[in-house]
Amino acid sequence: MKTPFEENHDLIRWLDGEMSPAECAAFEATLQNDPQLAAEAAEMQKLSLSLKEHLPAELPVPHADFFNSQIQVRIAQLELDDARAASQRSESAISRLMQWLRTPWFFGAAATALLVAGFAWLQIGAASGTTAILSSYTPNPTVHAETFHSSEAQATVLMLEGLEPIPSNQPITGFNVHRAEPDAEMASTTLFDASGSVLLVMAKDARGQPQILK
Amino acid sequence: MMNEEIRMTNALRTPKTAWRSISALLLVSSFVLLHSSFSPAQQPAPIPAVKPATDGQVWGALIFAVNDASKLTGSAEKAPEHQKDLSQRLAKVFPYQHFEILGQHLQDVFREYESWVVPTRDLFLKVDSKGTAADGGLNLHLQVWRQQQVLVKTDAVLHARSPLFIGGPKWRDGQLIFVLESRPKK
Repeated sequence: MKTPFEENHDLIRWLDGEMSPAECAAFEATLQNDPQLAAEAAEMQKLSLSLKEHLPAELPVPHADFFNSQIQVRIAQLELDDARAASQRSESAISRLMQWLRTPWFFGAAATALLVAGFAWLQIGAASGTTAILSSYTPNPTVHAETFHSSEAQATVLMLEGLEPIPSNQPITGFNVHRAEPDAEMASTTLFDASGSVLLVMAKDARGQPQILK
Repeated sequence: MMNEEIRMTNALRTPKTAWRSISALLLVSSFVLLHSSFSPAQQPAPIPAVKPATDGQVWGALIFAVNDASKLTGSAEKAPEHQKDLSQRLAKVFPYQHFEILGQHLQDVFREYESWVVPTRDLFLKVDSKGTAADGGLNLHLQVWRQQQVLVKTDAVLHARSPLFIGGPKWRDGQLIFVLESRPKK
């Protein structure tokens, strides 16, 4: 014989449809033999249906936009933390290298190496110190990005093909921005001109798209 | 004796003397208020502005390239000293004769925050620092935005004196070009 607690537990599982077919059959047989339990089951079933009818299945999240933007800001901060940790690891490797460079025999070897390197640099030009594109992605499939280095212009070029032209009647007014101040709490950046006057405020909406506020 | 003192005090409280007392009280109160609220020595110390950490600095500009000089906008923006030969360098890549700076922006690259390079409202750049590259360059994630639309996302290593030219959309018989260059760290 089951205790009232066990019967209630079974009743809840039966109402929630959590019983196996065998358990369900056994419990329904119990219900037929126990009018009091059957009445309680009918009452709870009625209550459950009423609740389902009157309560929405989903509730809107209050201030969803702000919530989303804060999560995005936090994710961005975590990514930057990871990048900084990787940078610090490389700095410690550099400090070990510096210790090795302080050894006495190094200076003679370094002078010879400098002569050779200087000669080579004059011959082939400075290949390092050139801006490089590591990867690029154009979300719009009609736009293509082509990358190359122009030694004549001494510049790296990222050419975007397939862009929609800007209408001729649309004026483009430029700024001369000298300084910016980020505001972590507001997730925005204020841009200033040379005299310290505010030119505009950059922020992002819930979708991460930039918003120019002034 | 006691009654005499009370009589004398009451005698002193004529309307004229009462008015003088009130005036004196007001004067003293004003003095105290002025010195407690507006004296620079008593002002609360300003909150120290903590300058955010940076990984470097970039200079960005939006250039209008066109063949017909009469189509130039007449922008007064001048190239900085280190970019005096910018037009000649751009002409090596883009098939135009005239190059005009529409807007420019000198921007610190924040280590912990995103940075924006906004020479114009129409075309601007979002910059996220990824630290210093092994060869000393500035490792960046860049996004070129045209108002609400991202045109390209790219990872790049920028070096001083080696600009990045981004060929943008066509506009008024010409083309818009975004120039981005890393500036040597101070």
